[in-house]
Amino acid sequence: MKYIYIVSLLLFLVVTSCDESFLERPSQNNPTEENYYNTAAEVNGATGLLYNKVWYDYQDKAFHAIGEALGGNMLTANDPNYGGLVYNKFTFTSSDVLVASSWASLYSVVGASSSLIQTLENKKAKVSDPAYLIQGIAEARFMRGVAFFFLARAFGDVPIVDDPVAFASSGVFDSPRYLQADVLRYVLEDLQYAEANLANEASQKGRVTNLSASGMMAKVYLYMGDYANAKIKAGLVIDSKKYSLYPDYNEMFTSSKANNNVESLFAWQWIAAGGYSIGNPIQAYCGTQALLKPTTGAGWGSVIPTIDLIESYDPLDKRKGWSIMQQGFFRKDWTNINFPNGYTYDTTSIGGDEAFKTKNGSRANAMKYVVGPGSNGENVNGTSTDICTYILRYADIELIYAEATLGNDGSTSDGAALNAINDVRTRAGLPDLTLITKDDILTERRHEFAFEGDYWFDIQRQGFEKAKEIISNQERGSYDFNGKLQSEKVTLSSPDQMFLPIPQTDLTASPMLREPAVPYYK
Amino acid sequence: MLKQIYRSLCIASVFFLLSHTFAFSQSRLVTGKITDETGEALPGVNVIKKGTTVGTSSDVNGTFSIEADNDDILVVSFIGYAPREIAVLNQTSLAITLKEDVSTLQEVVVIGYGSVKKTDVTSSISSVSEKDIKNLPVAGIDQALQGKVAGVTITSNGGQPGGGISINVRGITSVNGNQPLYVVDGVILNGSRSSIAQDQLGGMAGQNVQSPLAAINPNDIESIDVLKDASAQAIYGARGANGVVLIKTKSGKAGEPKITYDVYYGIQQLRKKLSLMDLKQYAGYQNSLVPEIRAAGNSLDTLAEFKNPAVLGRGTDWQDEIFQQGSIQNHQLSFSGGKDKTTYYTSFNYYKNEGIVIGSNFERFNIKLGIDQQVKPWLKTGVNLNVSKSNQKITLTDGSDAVISLAVYNSPAAPVRGLDGQFASVSNIGGSNFGNPNNPVALATMRNVRAIQYKAFGSLYTDINFLKSFTFRNEVNYDFNLGQNSAFQPLVQNTTTGATILSPSKLVEDRTTALFWALKNYLTFDRTFGKHYVNVVAGHESTLSNFDQITTSRQNLTNNLQSINAGSATNQTISGGKYLTAYESYFARALYSFNSRYSISGSIRRDGSSSFGPSKKWGVFSAVSAGWTLSEEEFIKNISVINHLKLRAGIGSVGNSNTANQNNAYVTNVSLVAISPFGNGAQNFNVGNPNLQWESVVTKNLGIDATVLNGIIDFSVDVYQKVSTKMLVQAKLPVYSGLNSGNTYNPVQPPVTNAGKMTNTGIDISLTTNNISKGSLTWKTNFIFTHYKNVLNDNGGVPQPAYREYGNAIQVTNSPSGQAVGSFYGLKTDGLFRTQGELDAFGSANSNNQLAVGPQGIYLGDIRFKDINGDGVINSLDLTNIGSPIPKFTYGMTNTVSFKSFDLSILITGSYGAKILNYTKRLTEGLYNSYLNQSTDVLNRYTAENPNATIPRYNQWNDNNRRLSDRYVESGSYLRIQNVSLGYNIPRALLNKTKFTSARVYVSAQNLKTFTKYSGYDPEIGAYNNNVFNMNIDDGHYPNPRTFTIGGNFVF
Repeated sequence: MKYIYIVSLLLFLVVTSCDESFLERPSQNNPTEENYYNTAAEVNGATGLLYNKVWYDYQDKAFHAIGEALGGNMLTANDPNYGGLVYNKFTFTSSDVLVASSWASLYSVVGASSSLIQTLENKKAKVSDPAYLIQGIAEARFMRGVAFFFLARAFGDVPIVDDPVAFASSGVFDSPRYLQADVLRYVLEDLQYAEANLANEASQKGRVTNLSASGMMAKVYLYMGDYANAKIKAGLVIDSKKYSLYPDYNEMFTSSKANNNVESLFAWQWIAAGGYSIGNPIQAYCGTQALLKPTTGAGWGSVIPTIDLIESYDPLDKRKGWSIMQQGFFRKDWTNINFPNGYTYDTTSIGGDEAFKTKNGSRANAMKYVVGPGSNGENVNGTSTDICTYILRYADIELIYAEATLGNDGSTSDGAALNAINDVRTRAGLPDLTLITKDDILTERRHEFAFEGDYWFDIQRQGFEKAKEIISNQERGSYDFNGKLQSEKVTLSSPDQMFLPIPQTDLTASPMLREPAVPYYK
Repeated sequence: MLKQIYRSLCIASVFFLLSHTFAFSQSRLVTGKITDETGEALPGVNVIKKGTTVGTSSDVNGTFSIEADNDDILVVSFIGYAPREIAVLNQTSLAITLKEDVSTLQEVVVIGYGSVKKTDVTSSISSVSEKDIKNLPVAGIDQALQGKVAGVTITSNGGQPGGGISINVRGITSVNGNQPLYVVDGVILNGSRSSIAQDQLGGMAGQNVQSPLAAINPNDIESIDVLKDASAQAIYGARGANGVVLIKTKSGKAGEPKITYDVYYGIQQLRKKLSLMDLKQYAGYQNSLVPEIRAAGNSLDTLAEFKNPAVLGRGTDWQDEIFQQGSIQNHQLSFSGGKDKTTYYTSFNYYKNEGIVIGSNFERFNIKLGIDQQVKPWLKTGVNLNVSKSNQKITLTDGSDAVISLAVYNSPAAPVRGLDGQFASVSNIGGSNFGNPNNPVALATMRNVRAIQYKAFGSLYTDINFLKSFTFRNEVNYDFNLGQNSAFQPLVQNTTTGATILSPSKLVEDRTTALFWALKNYLTFDRTFGKHYVNVVAGHESTLSNFDQITTSRQNLTNNLQSINAGSATNQTISGGKYLTAYESYFARALYSFNSRYSISGSIRRDGSSSFGPSKKWGVFSAVSAGWTLSEEEFIKNISVINHLKLRAGIGSVGNSNTANQNNAYVTNVSLVAISPFGNGAQNFNVGNPNLQWESVVTKNLGIDATVLNGIIDFSVDVYQKVSTKMLVQAKLPVYSGLNSGNTYNPVQPPVTNAGKMTNTGIDISLTTNNISKGSLTWKTNFIFTHYKNVLNDNGGVPQPAYREYGNAIQVTNSPSGQAVGSFYGLKTDGLFRTQGELDAFGSANSNNQLAVGPQGIYLGDIRFKDINGDGVINSLDLTNIGSPIPKFTYGMTNTVSFKSFDLSILITGSYGAKILNYTKRLTEGLYNSYLNQSTDVLNRYTAENPNATIPRYNQWNDNNRRLSDRYVESGSYLRIQNVSLGYNIPRALLNKTKFTSARVYVSAQNLKTFTKYSGYDPEIGAYNNNVFNMNIDDGHYPNPRTFTIGGNFVF
């Protein structure tokens, strides 16, 4: 009898072990390309992430180090995170941290967008109504276009890979650099597709529309020096009357309540709850230790306004007080364990009182994207906050319009152009201009967009000689502990310094990148 | 097809079994006496009826009695003596003499799915027995093997109690993980264990891959066999590519019940402190910088407090603050025995290790139970159960902001605590801030990062013998793991100064369930026909791993309670993962040996894995090997000095289907993202590769075994070539492809492809000499030597770089085709700029370097780099290979001396030719910030007054001198007295008055003395998180401790 049990057991084991489907183990953890992207909601979920973490490594530190420190608006800490002082001094090299992270982040936007575009294109043939797929493709192409625009600004001539799957399977991981002008043309193609296929009204607040694409094109044309087209596209946005200036400039940058307001054409979307890589980290770099550290653990004040910027404001310009914290600044709604009745910015430190006072090299901290320690209901999660990063706002459209109207002329008194720039100035508390010069616009842009990652590119597009002149006149020094100015002047020595070098790792991997750039469009 | 054949085979075997009739005969009592060659009675000798587990053991007088009949054969065995087989026939009283065993040839070697006599081995296998690893104060078996196995390079990844170990069997097999397959009593163990990376609490991740074997009790081990070449591994085809470590644990033996108690207790110390400046030296150093900094146009004043360094105290010694005296203890209690048809072994173990860095410890409880039952003369079953709980507390190490790094550059002017006893943050002295805001003592002691693991593994088996030569085995293996990882940080504030020390309060809880089971059925035919010996094994195996994980975190914990419930729901996170992996295999092996002279063995295995797409699931792996025992040939037999001589040769292939961090890499997976703009998000996780297939490793092996001079010298030499192709690598595409896993936040992972080729060629030598064996004095030496050369012939198209620091900024290794994997990558130094002429020459040649000549640029005393590509400019094109972390050879030597009741063993291990990247030196000799502490070596830095110095000048203006270069690459060669152990066996005469059968007490020292030129804490570094691209990087690494223990082994 016992044998029969054993035999049955053995037979049972033998038979069960030979089940045909034993090795078929489709993922239980996640869906796959085959069974996903079947609804508009699923595609929207995928495009939504393109407003977020793919940009993070650029937003994190490069945003300021490249967009502002090179431009002379901010000083970075002498700290390995910023590669020392290389951006203050224009001594960056191909092995610098933020050179690599800018490159990586911007190309990851390209890669994620291209991968999604491909997936959605493949899906088109399998569905009856591809409208939701086309909307998704248009949004992804918008993002890819903007990413290449950023790349062309920061690095000049860059490679273009828009079929990552083909690239990965080619086995030849090398590519030439393409001329900056061709990269910008490529950007325009993406934006044109977006302009033609994006909805006129955003399905959700904060998503880009066809006018976001038009506005972005205006900016690209401006950088290309194609003022006629820049004016047309900016005019298109102005004439639509869908956008206007947000009345409370300060709130726009210190409260997530103002996210995706009437002025915002395109903004990166951040969510504090997602933490590192999903939330906006800027306040940890700009805000002070006294304000933030007790609650969030962070708050380094590692990028601060330059003395040069602080002193460049017109006394009437309210944007200075809305953008910068200086001695005596007070916010009642920012409280923490050391400031139970509101935060006062105090630079009178005598040492040992860092928990209460802040005494840095310019005695000032940038306020844009600083939302406080969460005491006023702002969602704060370690270094992360909810506040969106403005990439294109209506003020920019107005200033592009004015600049495009001016074009290559010495000055203009065009009514529409004056209306545009004076609209921006009125909010800032400044008197109207009656005549506009190139320098007026540059100064206006410096103060309107201070700490928004754009100023270096505004200088850069003036050309090497003009940039050299602007940079060499800037005070890039700081005050020592006793208040004595340690002056620091920087002179550009080579047009090479206008663009970041290609990061070392890719240079090693792809020797063709060292060759002179070639045309993309034959 | 195969399945059907297999199925009919299985069924047929069962019918065979049924049709067989079993004969039984009457037993009677047989008695005997066992003596050695001098006539001395031998107690404790095992006497077992062959083919059964029925047996007994001899008593103090060497006598025994056993029920047996005329057909029975008694197997008489005792450690150190050659076993004998005695036919009972019609005898009732036996006189048995055992001879001391001069060779190890009679030993049985465990191979996959069976065992084989050492004489019949045709492949490369190294064996280690219990006595070789006994009493070593280590948490895991892996570490105990250090210096004992030729061909296996074992490096501790640091002194973290329960921490990781890098084991490379014959070089570096693959770019994606090299941990061998561990098989304990037939159970394949899950190969990874890690704690929560500490970047979740802020800062850097640190080393978080821990030793998977730390959960297993080394005291239960009977023997370890390492399968080194493909002909041995092929039977584990699919999973054997990185080598196979077969571990056999203790089981009960027939005979008197035995109670054993093993205990040791020890203390652990830091082997060496770095020579860093104390407050006096530091104040003097800071004063000396004033003119240098002023000369460059910046301001720095001599602090009033530092004006007279002689009156200052020593300040804070941060090394003393973070290092402590550790302790280690181990208790093992076991019961074993067997009577009639049942044998059993059970043990209880407790192990605890308090580390030498504050805040680190490891604790483990183990219970083992094994029972074997001879149900019928033809049927044997058994169960084997191992249960353990391990609890590890991890201190953050290996990172520039981790505890050790923070401590080495923290200023001696900064206190650990304020006058009120609370942790201090930065301290202001005369208007300048000293000290790191991250207090390393607070970081180490206030954070609570733990890895707790509950593990149960073992097997159930049934052996059925039929038709004399056949055995059918059915075995079920299981390995269940429950992981309970947590990372906790309280909010710590100094209420006096208002300074925040640690913030915010946060708790991360991680629970994993890893369940694994395997079902094996195999048939063994084992028979000797005259001079012919045949052993054939064929079978089927299926395994399934089920991994399930959930991670959650909350912040702002009320009252700093370490509880998820105490946290705020705002910003809470939750995530999980669920993966199933299945393997199915058919395997067969045949061994034939003629007259113990010629033997040949072949094996084949067909494996299927769920990790590959429909058309690529299956892989076939095979091997063949042969052995020729020359010493059995007439022309050698007459050479009296040669006792044994054998040649072996083999070739075979094995595979790997481990696709690193991608589970279903053959399809494009979509990740769902809960926290995302505009509601639930999703993203393509990877680029699917439907053509993905098995990685392949082909090994050729040639070996020679010899015993000469009457067993005085016993050696074994193997040479091999191992070629890995079709490596499963995640394509490392250039960053501009938009697909690059080297960047943390890149959402789309590049495809996993079969790419590249790597070759390891090497030689393993093992030599044992019995130097003295005279009366009560014996002296034996065992020497092992391991050499391999690694060449990454083809890296799959793109060099594989590794980075340090935040933002992945600093590339530290590079692995281009044609070089050894993981070589350090940087500039070559060419001395210092010492004359204005040299500076001027540099200036004109380096218009593109962007560093102008001058006090704030490149200046006298700065490092000059070599222009490797000769283009006149120093830039990234001049980065080159600046040293390999792979040793030219490693070795181990064990000397065992016993004299009367004393035994002494000395283990020396060493490594020669490896380079270490002393990344810590970038901090301690960085000379870039006057507020950081430095090595005392910088007191001899370059200054105008000291123009012949080799250490560069102080330079806070640019990072020229800190660029990654051979300045930070040092020799990692060392010779270490790894273990010295002196034991005393309490003589039998004394024991007779007690209940003990035997008792031994000993003292031992581990890591006693290290001879090295390496300037850091410890030249034994290992691989950061077991990554082959991150070997020998000392970035605030946890040094291995020196341990002194005292212990005893008692048998009742």
